[in-house]
Amino acid sequence: MPAIRIENLCKTYRGAWKKKSRVNAVQNVSLEVKEGEIFGFLGPNGAGKTTTILLALDLLRPTSGSASIFDRPAGDAQVRRRLGYLPESVTLHDYRSGRGLLEFYAALTGIPQGTRARRIEELLKLLKLDEAADRPVTKYSKGMLQRLGFAQALLHEPDLVILDEPTSSLDPVGRKEFREILLELKRQGKTVFISSHILSEVESVCDRVAILVRGELVRIGTLQELSAPKSFKLVVRGVREALLGALSATKAEVSIAQGETTIKCPDEATRASVEKLLSEHQAVIERTEVETQSLEDIFFSAIESRKET
Amino acid sequence: MKTTLLIASDSVRALLHQRILLGLMLIALALIGIFSAVLITEQKAITRSAIDESEANSSDSDSGSGNAAAKGPEDVSKASPQTGGRKLSKEDQQKLAASMDQLSSVLQGAFYQVASFGGSLVSLFIFSTAVTSEIRKGTIRITLTKPVSRIQYLLGKYLGGVAVMAAYAIIASAAMILFARIGKIEMSPAMRFAPWLMFCRQLMLGSLAMLLSLYVHPFLASVLAFFAGNGLYHAPNPLFYIFPGYSVFNIFGQILMGTLVSGKDVLVLSIYAVDFVILMLIFALWRFRTKELV
Repeated sequence: MPAIRIENLCKTYRGAWKKKSRVNAVQNVSLEVKEGEIFGFLGPNGAGKTTTILLALDLLRPTSGSASIFDRPAGDAQVRRRLGYLPESVTLHDYRSGRGLLEFYAALTGIPQGTRARRIEELLKLLKLDEAADRPVTKYSKGMLQRLGFAQALLHEPDLVILDEPTSSLDPVGRKEFREILLELKRQGKTVFISSHILSEVESVCDRVAILVRGELVRIGTLQELSAPKSFKLVVRGVREALLGALSATKAEVSIAQGETTIKCPDEATRASVEKLLSEHQAVIERTEVETQSLEDIFFSAIESRKET
Repeated sequence: MKTTLLIASDSVRALLHQRILLGLMLIALALIGIFSAVLITEQKAITRSAIDESEANSSDSDSGSGNAAAKGPEDVSKASPQTGGRKLSKEDQQKLAASMDQLSSVLQGAFYQVASFGGSLVSLFIFSTAVTSEIRKGTIRITLTKPVSRIQYLLGKYLGGVAVMAAYAIIASAAMILFARIGKIEMSPAMRFAPWLMFCRQLMLGSLAMLLSLYVHPFLASVLAFFAGNGLYHAPNPLFYIFPGYSVFNIFGQILMGTLVSGKDVLVLSIYAVDFVILMLIFALWRFRTKELV
């Protein structure tokens, strides 16, 4: 059973008077998040990430398509008991203290009175909020608010945690601690869905990623599946003048250092033509190095591919 | 039910944080002060004019007919503290008492009107912003991803508002009683049910404002709810039956006339208010069920 299933989800905002003001925020998005995985949901600002999350959480109504959590509609009370959510911009009730707020949410989620105080203390300590716990929320910094928001999402030990831009207000130390908590959640078998545009963060913790551009899902898979070879480096022996002349006609870059000839091919087609020339001139390939794409490369190529269409 | 009450208590806490109850108590105290000052000033003015009139009458009769002795000592009443030790005739005393009663009724009626109007404004503010302010701030997103249904949420918000309006009705009643004690005036019989009817009216206004706020801006919702009363129409005009009958809850006339409002009337009005509130809440729930929370 997938933790999240989204099928052909569309969301169109229509202007009240003008047809031209129609905005397709989410277009035909389908994806599945498996139980126990950390899933990264990437996209530039305004790509429709938050809208997709709000649709999945039943806080927005889809124009068409459907979304379910643990095979049930997100509005279902049983589902919500298994769900923790941290919104993009954390706004919390400003008339409570950090501890008071967690006590309120603990009561709403039905955490038994006996274990409530212990669980709250545990989270306050984990998220380094124990010293500020009794301070009113209005006195919290942005980073502290984000930590408190994270605490409320984890409060009832949910099976699925949905985090929308969870580290946007955290400092580098906070981000590192956050990554450790995510990995701990994964060890516990929890499912985590993170929407972010901080690529390094997603790259270091996510099992699978999806990239959303202008409301459309353009890539989905593991990092290995998504990363196409970026370039090829051939280290060659037995290169003669005639071969160098032939190579200059291709897109390959040739460099000779310390008696070693290296030929860099920017793509698969160039590599094929270079290998053909090498064989014709009886040169020997000593080794081949393949440079793969980083998540950043994948991300930008996804955006570029969408621009072209 | 537990979840609904949790939301309601949270809603009350939010309103307390806005110091709304403190504000209401200050308004009530200001009302007592203003109305007591007006009452005392007017009482003095009426008494002075009664004495002046009485003195003018007696000097006219002394110099004019010369038969003052014929009136005899029984025509002159005992001096009272109200008249500053001066003696008034029985007729003048009756006139003075009637004027005082009229003043007391008018001031009680005005006190009720001001308290009722103030309560209506508070009610419109509380109910029209109860849900919409949480949508605007975004706090609703976290609450509704907890095991809280939209029905529980909306009812909780409404009940929170009801609790604050009940507190307002109690404060307003206490203020009216205190005003009567300070001014040493007899409460009009209709005042017995005034706070309850005021409370019913405010809940009706609030429920309509809450429903409308799910469609339009809270301010517009408040204005529409306030002016939606059927006071402008009369039966058999169908609009009289469609628009809410706020005006029947206004007992200003009865307070002024010093007439009693019957228990049966109050019961009928209460049933009408409850029916209206339930109907508005059903419509509001229908709308809120599918409302986008951004």
